[in-house]
Amino acid sequence: MKIEKLMNEYDVIIIGGGATGAGTLRDCSLRGLKAALIERSDIATGATGRNHGLLHSGARYAVTDQESAQECISENQILRHIARHCVDQTDGFFISLPDDDLAFQNKFVESCLKAGIRADVLDPKEALSLEPSMNPSAIGAVRVPDGSIDPFRLTASNIQDAKAHGATVLTYHLVTELLHRQGVITGVRATDMRTGEQTELHAPIVVNACGIWGAHLAQMAGVKISMFPAKGALLIYGHRVNKIVLNRCRKPSDADILVPGDTICLIGTTSTKVPYDEIDNMYVLPEEVEILRKGAQELSPILEKTRILRCYAGVRPLVASDDDPSGRSVSRGIVLFDHEKRDGLKGFVTITGGKLMTYRLMAEKATDLVCEKLHVNKKCETAHIKLPGSREDKETTLKKLYSMPVSIQESMVYRHGDMAEKMSKNNTINNSLVCECEEVSYGEVSYAIDHMDVHNLIDLRRRTRVGMGTCQGEFCACRAIGILAKQKQICPTREKEELIAFLNERWKGVKPIAWGDSLRESQYASWVYESVCGLGDENKNKEQ
Amino acid sequence: MACGIRLQEAGKKCVIISSGQSALHFSSGSFDLLNTLPDGTKVANPIEALKELKAQNPKHPYTKIGEEKFAHLAQEAQRLLSDAKIRMVGSYHANHYRLTPFAITKPTWLTMADYVYAEQPDTFAWKNISVVNFTAYLDFHPNFFADKFRRMGMSVRDIEIDLATIANNKNNLSEMRSTNIARLFENEKAFANFVDLLKSKIEKSDAVLLPACLGLEHTDIVETLSNILGVTVKLLPTFPPSVSGICAQHLLKQRFMNLGGTYMLGDTVNKVEFEDNRVTKIYTVNHNDIPLRGEQYVLCSGSFFSQGLLALPNDIIDPICGLDIDYISDRKQWFADNTFDKQNYGSFGIKTDEHFLAIKDQKTIDNLHVCGASLGGFNALKEGCGGGVSLLTALYAAEEILGNKK
Repeated sequence: MKIEKLMNEYDVIIIGGGATGAGTLRDCSLRGLKAALIERSDIATGATGRNHGLLHSGARYAVTDQESAQECISENQILRHIARHCVDQTDGFFISLPDDDLAFQNKFVESCLKAGIRADVLDPKEALSLEPSMNPSAIGAVRVPDGSIDPFRLTASNIQDAKAHGATVLTYHLVTELLHRQGVITGVRATDMRTGEQTELHAPIVVNACGIWGAHLAQMAGVKISMFPAKGALLIYGHRVNKIVLNRCRKPSDADILVPGDTICLIGTTSTKVPYDEIDNMYVLPEEVEILRKGAQELSPILEKTRILRCYAGVRPLVASDDDPSGRSVSRGIVLFDHEKRDGLKGFVTITGGKLMTYRLMAEKATDLVCEKLHVNKKCETAHIKLPGSREDKETTLKKLYSMPVSIQESMVYRHGDMAEKMSKNNTINNSLVCECEEVSYGEVSYAIDHMDVHNLIDLRRRTRVGMGTCQGEFCACRAIGILAKQKQICPTREKEELIAFLNERWKGVKPIAWGDSLRESQYASWVYESVCGLGDENKNKEQ
Repeated sequence: MACGIRLQEAGKKCVIISSGQSALHFSSGSFDLLNTLPDGTKVANPIEALKELKAQNPKHPYTKIGEEKFAHLAQEAQRLLSDAKIRMVGSYHANHYRLTPFAITKPTWLTMADYVYAEQPDTFAWKNISVVNFTAYLDFHPNFFADKFRRMGMSVRDIEIDLATIANNKNNLSEMRSTNIARLFENEKAFANFVDLLKSKIEKSDAVLLPACLGLEHTDIVETLSNILGVTVKLLPTFPPSVSGICAQHLLKQRFMNLGGTYMLGDTVNKVEFEDNRVTKIYTVNHNDIPLRGEQYVLCSGSFFSQGLLALPNDIIDPICGLDIDYISDRKQWFADNTFDKQNYGSFGIKTDEHFLAIKDQKTIDNLHVCGASLGGFNALKEGCGGGVSLLTALYAAEEILGNKK
């Protein structure tokens, strides 16, 4: 009992497994703190995994918000260095279409330069030759250092590094209570969502890194944070039509960023205020699909004929300023609350607001505060120390995998950087392909299951892209579940339940755009899983 | 294909234009006739359930066929498959039970004779069985089957065979798919090595169950294996592609061509001309401006998956002939939230009259029959009737055409 208690004693507990939580966990661990992270679901399931994956240069904010723009360009440069394997250095264009005011371009370039963002005005014809998918009727183009970033890999890599420095990660654990002693937060009680088992973790400081869900956690702690959930919907196209990020050169609006990522490109976003009680059930409306399609086709006309793979929506955690509880003055910037100073509640800190781009900076600010409270005098190093996967250059890693099939080498190194070496055992079974759309091998799946906190098929998708390709899991889900079942010793009944959950999760994103080839694919998947395999009607059949 | 074979048998001159491979490539190894009524009632005897089906769904293709004709056509279908040398078990009087790739028991009409099946759910005479899989073959889950058989009280031996030890298969990433494995077994030496290896592993099993990766060309390979080993050998279904489905497709095509039919694979109809409510000629991609003319036409272009139907964001069309479609115009009603619930889009199809003649602009086209998954009014997934509707409506069209000509 005593040992167990000691094992559950930490310096800091972080709640929330998004990029900010994972970044804070890593920062705390690197500064020598004994840290634990609790997440009710999988990592990167909230706003982190439901955005553009745009490595902002800050240009988008330059005209309206210089502070955000400066934060972005600074973090942009840091992430290119520390998270190279999660970043595609694509650059970005801000294009003006005939309907746009070209005068805005001058103001835009001026503001970018002021914020320290490189902004080169290009002749539209030159821009078109560099990015043939862009709208040929563009009347202006500015090149900025945008890029794309994979939020799943970024979060996973932060988690990996934190664990390597002694951190504990509890995914699928729901915090049910914040433990108090004499008005001081002393830890949390959590329930394992899979087994129902209860755990207590103790620490002098609990960090609330739950994003939009943080308002609820704060309420549990007895303090109030006013948040205004803003839904952002996005569409994923099944081809990577552009190699350079395309933005509209106008005041930020709906559907004006087209980001290439992996094998796809995605258009976003919309912005709609939604009631707080709906944040767990985000769905994309037909009118949002229309706005996004229109915006996408304006940036790149070929998208009219490109298959839409799926859609999804995330919730931005917008926080009301403390001096304006009405919510009229909403901040998109980083918000750090020291609840001891703000509300007289010792042991509780909230880090929220911000964006994926600034996750590291948010983690640094939160960890600085934690260290101050714990009287730990160690400087933040996360801006310099590279994340696992980014520690050696691509060529060096590829050389180590030279005897493997080339397509596997390339896609594995693209996804996992130098960690690919650990996944490559180079034998028949490990080189066998699980997912043909995304070239995911058995070895990669197997490694992710054993070493990357994978508990089910949906987690596996976030680590490896199994099921993210054009077939949306039609063939690979079945193969992957077999490997998962073998390694995690899952019983056949749960295996089938996992598959049903996975296929339904995919359908949720396909349904709003189910026409043309997407409906064709969905009908085929239903046929294979339901008719050929008999999945889904087992309960009705009372299978013996 | 069934329609074409029937017409060739009767001495007609047919051409089949097929833009791609048939859906048989993804077959389960069985054809369903009718497993469930629209209200969810299970069906044990399809023919006896037809009255109730008519009451529940007057628009169902089987209702249009009618009870008497149904029995005749079902029998015809069984004969046609048998004449094409596709060995199947089952009868339209009583469903039997197949196992799915997830070892789930499902009722069905006809099952490939080499597959595991049972007259009653989960009744097998075996006590000791061997379930075989191949190293790195991921489209077959032996654990599902082993678990099921163990729960039925059988003793199950798990056997894994590394095919690299029986043949020098090159390091190709897509190597371990059912069709490639089947091709390997077509090689005599590799097959002999496999038999030797298997012999040493099965010990005293009553039955050896293999993933259905055998018999792409040698349709008697399972029987051969069984004779050599001296035990029952049966196949368990795999995830697609389906070796036995491909083999069946091949046999049907052979039968059609042996009867004198012309098969244009990889050609696509891109224009259909109508005159006085009749199809006059059709054009294809490969034949450019050379039209094909027939007295009668049959459309069996399938549903969305086979591209016989095309969904636009707010409309459903027949991209080949522009025929009228039976569907719900409100897109919101096309889908259910749960992918395993009944999806209304699955029942959409081309509108036809009582003889399955197509309807275009609300007028019947006198020489264009529609059959199979192109038709509306039934839900193949929920009712378990896709195979039956395809075969029976195809034969119905053939008989109508032959009858018209008499």
